[in-house]
Amino acid sequence: MATIQQQARRQQRVEELCGAAIRALTGDPELHMRAHGLYRGQKRVPLYAPHLRTDPGADDIGGHRGASDGMALRLLHSDAELHRSLSPEEPVQRLIFELLEQLRVESLAPADKPGMAGNLERRFVSWSLQYHHAGLTGSELGILLYTLAQVCWARLNARRVVEETEDLIEATRAGIVPLIGHELAALKRNRDDQAGFAQAALTIARQVHGWIEDAGAGQSEAADDDAADAADGALKFLLDFDQQGDAGVASVISGRSKVFADAAAGYRIFSTRYDRESGAAELVRPALLGELRTRLDRLVADQGVNVRRVARRLAAMFAQPKRDGWLFGEEEGYIDGRRLTQLVSSPDERRLFRQELFQPRPHTLFSLLIDCSGSMKAHIESVAVLVDVLARALQQAGVASEVLGFTTGAWNGGRVQRDWIAAGRPKHPGRLNELSYLVYKDAETSWRRARPSIAALLKPDLFREGVDGEAVDWACARMLGRSDTRRVLVVISDGCPMDAATNLANDQFYLDNHLKEVVARHERQGEVEIYGLGVGLDLSPYYRRRLSLDLARGVDNRVFDEIVGLLRRSRPA
Amino acid sequence: MTEIAQIKPDRLVAVREMFGIDSELQVPAFSEREDHVPEIDPAYRFNPDVTLAILAGFMRDRRVMVQGLHGTGKSTHIEQVAARLNWPCVRVNLDGHISRLDLVGKDTIVIRDGKQVTEFQEGIVPWALQRPVALIFDEYDAGRPDVMFVIQRILERDGKFTLLDQNRVIRPNRHFRLFATSNTVGLGNLNGLYHGTQMLNHAQIDRWNIVATLNFLPRDEEIAIIQARVPGIRERSMLESMVSLAELTRNGFAAGDLSTLMSPRTLITWAENCEIFGDPGQAFRLSFLNKCDEAEHPIIGEYFQRCFDRELDAPDVQPPHAMNL
Repeated sequence: MATIQQQARRQQRVEELCGAAIRALTGDPELHMRAHGLYRGQKRVPLYAPHLRTDPGADDIGGHRGASDGMALRLLHSDAELHRSLSPEEPVQRLIFELLEQLRVESLAPADKPGMAGNLERRFVSWSLQYHHAGLTGSELGILLYTLAQVCWARLNARRVVEETEDLIEATRAGIVPLIGHELAALKRNRDDQAGFAQAALTIARQVHGWIEDAGAGQSEAADDDAADAADGALKFLLDFDQQGDAGVASVISGRSKVFADAAAGYRIFSTRYDRESGAAELVRPALLGELRTRLDRLVADQGVNVRRVARRLAAMFAQPKRDGWLFGEEEGYIDGRRLTQLVSSPDERRLFRQELFQPRPHTLFSLLIDCSGSMKAHIESVAVLVDVLARALQQAGVASEVLGFTTGAWNGGRVQRDWIAAGRPKHPGRLNELSYLVYKDAETSWRRARPSIAALLKPDLFREGVDGEAVDWACARMLGRSDTRRVLVVISDGCPMDAATNLANDQFYLDNHLKEVVARHERQGEVEIYGLGVGLDLSPYYRRRLSLDLARGVDNRVFDEIVGLLRRSRPA
Repeated sequence: MTEIAQIKPDRLVAVREMFGIDSELQVPAFSEREDHVPEIDPAYRFNPDVTLAILAGFMRDRRVMVQGLHGTGKSTHIEQVAARLNWPCVRVNLDGHISRLDLVGKDTIVIRDGKQVTEFQEGIVPWALQRPVALIFDEYDAGRPDVMFVIQRILERDGKFTLLDQNRVIRPNRHFRLFATSNTVGLGNLNGLYHGTQMLNHAQIDRWNIVATLNFLPRDEEIAIIQARVPGIRERSMLESMVSLAELTRNGFAAGDLSTLMSPRTLITWAENCEIFGDPGQAFRLSFLNKCDEAEHPIIGEYFQRCFDRELDAPDVQPPHAMNL
């Protein structure tokens, strides 16, 4: 039995593969999958055909492949602008229109990619059976939509309808096909012409809607068929076009903040007067630091991580050959003037040349930013081990590293909130808490010297709330102040930004939307690569490049392999 | 030695007939084949744009640089054009250790009448300059920019070449031609593919009259090339799938998902290996997959599935549900 975390991670892996396939098929590098939806940059691509919605629990890789191939074809062969302008308002009509347009592009699958056509067919069949087995064909509307989908799919692809339900739809099919026969022929004829196809599709949609209205009027309220009601309830789900994607397993719940979107000046901060930045070691008694360090050392030793291996892999990833000095005493190369006397004294000795020496040298700054909010207390031992081992491996690999943390100086707004109340509670004050930035290790300090300071991670009473957006900005600003050619920021977090006072005074997703904006801005600028490591959950709403870590089984070599794999997979082109 | 210096182009050939390009141009050509003329590869397919650029170089004495990704056949393209014109051709591979002495010439010790004497031995540049030869600098961007200034003057048309060691000025032969090929446009290794390339000096880049780009070919041409090279593969559908897969890897590279891509050369190798192993999947693993980073294997497996409708059943490319996560 797979745990929720394993499912989330499997889902993420599948989404990465599907996203890569879509990018390759369409040639658009901006596309990527997150939270079961297709996004271009930060915007969701509007795709509503029912069989493109996959269910991570029920569908296998084949289903996901079919859905992603369908999305790719839609992007390739359909003009989104034209589609939107023709799309009807009424939900049932719109659903039919979306479905037919999707079936059209799927029938255009290129002949040179037989796998695509196969995936699409398997996806459609499996979706049909899922629909049928879920009992959706039980209601009047359900069977009508189902039959329509089957008939159009069979007609466009010159295939037979799904065998299992052929008998079931026969009556409905015989009823509707004569009425829309003309349009069905037009669909097939206009497969390559979106506008012509849309006319026929709209006619069908209007007709079907008309029948449903008639049937609804004829049906008396007394006919309370439970099964049909349930099926209609499920159909409502298909008709809901504005959903942000069903929040699947262990994903962050995200939304839209009206206050943030409406504020002309963007993100606001009520006061920065009490914000602090401090070395973590200064906040803990030296004697306690010693104890914590001993504890951390024991935890690290228990995990038995092969630090040298991690270091080698990191070095291989970040290093590039650089000319660095000379190799002397070579048999060929440039003449080494200092050895010419040797040539005179012993002419047989030929090793008087020198060669340029190339050595791999990383010129990278690797920054770890840890969310020190209260909920992280539960995971902090694993995170501390992870951070300590990474810092040590990076040191061995010759990569400069920073370990930073962020939290707030007080619960529920602290002195900033008191100031706000004293100022008469002005509306939408923006961020309303004292920020506290913690530096566990800066780039100049070696891991050895920073050892006690890193152990301060284990002192949990420093952990309060978290304002992620500003923290990412702060970490990026620190990194941009140095001259390294590559900058990697890894954010370790277990959820969305959380600050009770700010959320109360603004709205629930104010900090959330700021984080999205900050990460998107830095991704666009491209000076810092930002990666999100979710502790046991998927951070896909915020970070395009992310990984959810399963720390329940301890921090072993596997975890580091995954992190290195993430960095390697998404290296900049 | 004197022979090659004497010959000159003595006839005109029609581009339309020789290269199958729709153009009225007439190009000078030699009627006799000399030792330095490359062999003709009858299966070679000419890219119209690049061919015209190279022909302009031969016809009007323009300095032509062909830039493009690896394995697209840049040097071969110039050679094959020269082969059709019977134009003698010399290829020089540049690398970071080519020095001025190699290019210009140096004093060497030779035995003459039983005595050792030092004698100036011309380097490749003055040698070629005095003969009707097309000199091709391969991997031009691997040459060190400070050394490449040696050819600064001959990049100009009628630029004379001064041999400092000899106090001699060489006037170039009227039919000397200069070409170069490079992977980058002289801005260094931007995409991480070409280690060891140099940033070129733009005063020098500027002196090249024509810069032609030979990246990937249109789909049909690529299929035709493989068909011509590997006639054993008859199934058109398989060729189409192979070329589609190559296109997917190129898109994947552009999107940053892959760090390698399939060049036309890899495609041809793959087709040849298909003949050897009989199975496109097996041949694909051996000709391309094993060159790729292990972390990228699943993505390539997805591409393969799309193009061949079956799993690329390498040991580490398993569908994720079978993966031990």
